[in-house]
Amino acid sequence: MGDHPMRDAGIFGAACLCGIASGLFGIGGGTLLVPFLALFFAFGQHRAQGTSLIALIPPTGALAFYAYAKAGYISWHTGLLLIPGVFVGGMLGGWLAKRLQPRRMRQVFAGLMLALGVWEAAAAWGR
Amino acid sequence: MTLIVLLLGLAVGVLVGLLGIGGGVVLVPALVYLLHMDQHLAQGTSLFILLPPVGVGALREYWKQGQVDLRAGILCALGILVGGYFGGLIAVPLASRNLKGLFGCFLILAAFLLWRKPQPENRTMPSDSEGSAHG
Repeated sequence: MGDHPMRDAGIFGAACLCGIASGLFGIGGGTLLVPFLALFFAFGQHRAQGTSLIALIPPTGALAFYAYAKAGYISWHTGLLLIPGVFVGGMLGGWLAKRLQPRRMRQVFAGLMLALGVWEAAAAWGR
Repeated sequence: MTLIVLLLGLAVGVLVGLLGIGGGVVLVPALVYLLHMDQHLAQGTSLFILLPPVGVGALREYWKQGQVDLRAGILCALGILVGGYFGGLIAVPLASRNLKGLFGCFLILAAFLLWRKPQPENRTMPSDSEGSAHG
């Protein structure tokens, strides 16, 4: 294939890990992919985010989705209502990303996730 | 109710574009707490939303700046597809409560990863992004 087979294999391996998280937690996988690309493969922040977005264009979650659908764990109605908003909001966010300081916006988001994570874990196992 | 869902989609979308992620990390807790879904149902619905290319509008902005590595992107898509299958197999039989707790731990881990500064940021938009738009 390419000139960097080791790098390619590394990226693929890292993406597999992101995929397991994707299926396990019902997410896209970008949350892990962006820091992985930045930390281990020396991507700049914007480049890592752009690459993560293109990786999410094909229905990468299709196999995970299938597992959930078989078990009946899909709310079709809510899902269909959410899709247009996410699409339009995504354009807005992409436009904003060029105008904001990337480090600051990551820190705000990291803080939000930390709070959410602690809250979720406590709610599940607290009592 | 419908309005809440539409606005929620918009808010999640802004984060998608801003941070280059799928949006599921915010979407799943939002579905659980705002719409009172079960953890499994929220995760399945989140995966459903991510099936169409919801991030394509955001991607356009990054593409225009040459901030996309197509080759790495394709490799990542393949990896996520394969890994996702196994992740789904693990998640479905778990008790909802444990899945929720694990999700919380994952968010904490992701928060730390996101906080770390990998390297000096490129403040200027580089025009030197060769190898970006061709794979």
